[in-house]
Amino acid sequence: MKTNLNLQDADTFYEQLLDAHSGLNAEQSELLNARLILLLANQVGDSRVLQECLVAAQLPQAATAG
Amino acid sequence: MSASPTSTAAKPYQHSAFTNDYEFAKGGYTLPEYPFVAPSELTSGTTVRHPIVIVGAGITGLTMACALARQGIAAVVLDEDNSVGVKGASSRGICYTQKSLEIFHRLGIYERIAAKGIQWSVGRTFAGHDEVYAFDLRQQSSFQLSAQPPFINIQQFYIEGYLVERIYELGCVDLRWGSRVAGFEQHDGFATLTVDTPAGSYQIEADHIIDASGSHTPFHQWCGATVQARRGDDRWCIADVRFKNLPPTERHTWIEAPFNDNRAVWQHLMADDVWRIDYQMEPDADPAKASSESEVRKRLQRQFGAEVDCDIVWVGPYAYRSQCVDTLHIGSVYFMGDTAKIVSPFGARGGNTGVADADNLAWKLGAVMRGRAPAKLLDSYNHERLEAARQNVQVTNRTARFLRPAEGMERVFRTAVISLARQYPFARQLVNTGRMAVANPYSQSAVCEKSGGLSVQNVYFRWQDGSQGCVNDLTQWADGRLLLLVFGDQSLQARQRLVQLSRKTPVRCVQVLGADSRTQSRETVRDPQGHLQGACHVFGHAWALVRPDAYLAATGEAVDGALVQAIEHALALA
Repeated sequence: MKTNLNLQDADTFYEQLLDAHSGLNAEQSELLNARLILLLANQVGDSRVLQECLVAAQLPQAATAG
Repeated sequence: MSASPTSTAAKPYQHSAFTNDYEFAKGGYTLPEYPFVAPSELTSGTTVRHPIVIVGAGITGLTMACALARQGIAAVVLDEDNSVGVKGASSRGICYTQKSLEIFHRLGIYERIAAKGIQWSVGRTFAGHDEVYAFDLRQQSSFQLSAQPPFINIQQFYIEGYLVERIYELGCVDLRWGSRVAGFEQHDGFATLTVDTPAGSYQIEADHIIDASGSHTPFHQWCGATVQARRGDDRWCIADVRFKNLPPTERHTWIEAPFNDNRAVWQHLMADDVWRIDYQMEPDADPAKASSESEVRKRLQRQFGAEVDCDIVWVGPYAYRSQCVDTLHIGSVYFMGDTAKIVSPFGARGGNTGVADADNLAWKLGAVMRGRAPAKLLDSYNHERLEAARQNVQVTNRTARFLRPAEGMERVFRTAVISLARQYPFARQLVNTGRMAVANPYSQSAVCEKSGGLSVQNVYFRWQDGSQGCVNDLTQWADGRLLLLVFGDQSLQARQRLVQLSRKTPVRCVQVLGADSRTQSRETVRDPQGHLQGACHVFGHAWALVRPDAYLAATGEAVDGALVQAIEHALALA
C-alpha cells in the first residue's frame, strides 16, 4: 500500500470529488461513494494492497468523527 | 481625505496605543502624511493629456508607479488619501513572496524590507492537539538559489511607505495626494477623468489609465466590466497583537482549534513583534460582536493562557469572498491588483499578485513608450495576468472550501482527510490551509513560446572579474530590453548572428560560461555552479530569452530562426 502521495494533482482531484457530491442528498452521496470505491478498487486490483487499504481505513479508536 | 494641505515632512512610523472602538480604522500606528499640492491644471484651468495615469496609491499602484519611474517613464498617481495604509476594511497584507521581493529588489527597496521584516520558513498545521502537517521552506530547493528568501512578513504599509519615498527619489512620477477620481469618460484612444481635490475639481486626460483603486473601484461600472463573484458565509476576525509576555514562536495554523470551538485559527508573525491572529467565526457571525475588544481578549486568553498580556494593535472582521473580472483591459483602462481579482487571504495570493500585475504591465508600457514595441504588446497583459488571476482565485477557493466545508459529504471528506493525515503522509498533502503564492506561469500567452512563460529566480553568478552579480543586475543593464543569455561556447557564425541581433532588435546579449571556458565576447559572465542555467530551466548549450520582468519569453538550443521569431513574438513585433 502506498502511504506517500501518489496523486498527480491532489487539490484538483479533491475539488472534483466534492463537486461530484454537490447537489446530492445524503443517500445519493453514499451511493456515489460506494460506486466510486468499487471502481477505484477495480483499478487497484492487487488483493494484498486492497486488504491493506481495508485495514488502514478502519476507524482508529481515538478518532471520533468531528 | 485631508481637508487642507499638510506639512511636507513625512513623519516616521510610530506605535500608538489602541484606543478606538474597533472601527476598522487607524489601528495602532501613526502613519506618515504626504502633502497635497495643487497641480498646474487646477491653477491654469487647462486640461493636460498624460500618457499614463495611475488611480490608487496602494501596494499595486505604487509598485506600478515605481517600476515606471525606474524606467524614466512619466506618470501621474491619483490617491484620495494622504497616507499609506488603509482607512477601511480592505487589504492589509503581511506576507511577501520571493517573486515580490525580487521585484522590490529591482525597484531598490528590498534592503529596507529585509531590515524591517521577518523571515520565516517553518509552518505547522494542527487539528485538535495533533500536528498533521509541517513544512520547512529552507528544505525546498526551488527557493534556495535566489538572492531573496522564500518569504518575508511585514506590514503592507511599510512597503507602501518605502515605495513612496523611492518614487520621490527617482522623480518622473507625479504623486497627487488628496485627489479623488469622481468621473470618467472614454473617448477614441484616450479617456478623461474628473478629479476632486481639497482645492477644487479639475479634469485630466490619459492615454492609459491604470485602475489600482482597490476592491471598491468605480471603474468596473464606468467601463461596463463584468465580474465572476462568489460570496460565502465564512466569517473571520483578524487581530494584530503585540505580546508583552509569552509570545508565540512559529507560524501555526489550526484547522480545528480546541480553543476556538474547533474552528480554524492562524498565527503569523510580522515586523515590530506584532503577530496576526486570525480566528474563524461561526458562519454568518455578527461582525460587531466578533470583533469587540472583550471578545478578542477572551479568545487570546483561551489560546495563550489567562496570564497573557498584550496590546491589540488592530482588529477587523472579514467576510471573505472571491471575484475576478472577465477582462483586465477595457478601452484605455487596465485593471490591476484588487480591481482585477479579489481572493481570500489564504496563501498570500492577494497583494503579491497585485505586485506581479504591476511588474508585468510596467515593462510593456515602457517598451511601447520608448518605441521598442507596438501597442499590441499591451494585449498580452490581459492574457498573462488574467490567467494568473483565475489560477489564484481557483486555488484560494479550494482552501476556503476546505476550511468551511458544506455540511454533509464535504465535511465528512474533511474529517476523513484529517484522521488519515494523522497516520499517513499522503493525506497530509490534502490538508489545505492555503497554498503559498508562486510566480504564476504563463501557459497561454501569445508573447511567450511554449518553452517560456516561467519566472527566472534572482540567482547569483560571477562577473568576469570574479565579483558576484545577480539576474536583476543583468535585467537592469538591459534597461528595458530583452536579455538574451547564451550558455556555452558558440561558433563564429552564431556569434556574428548574435551581434547582428543586438544591433537590429531591442535585445542585449550575454554569454554565460562555466568556470574555466575561454571568453569569446566582451559581454561574458561565469556560472560556475550552474545556478543561472538552472534558473532559466535549460541544460547544456542553450539560450534563454529573459524579459524585463524576469520571465522567460522562450528558450532554445541553436542560434537560428526560432530565436529571431521568439524575439519578434516577445515584443509583439510579428
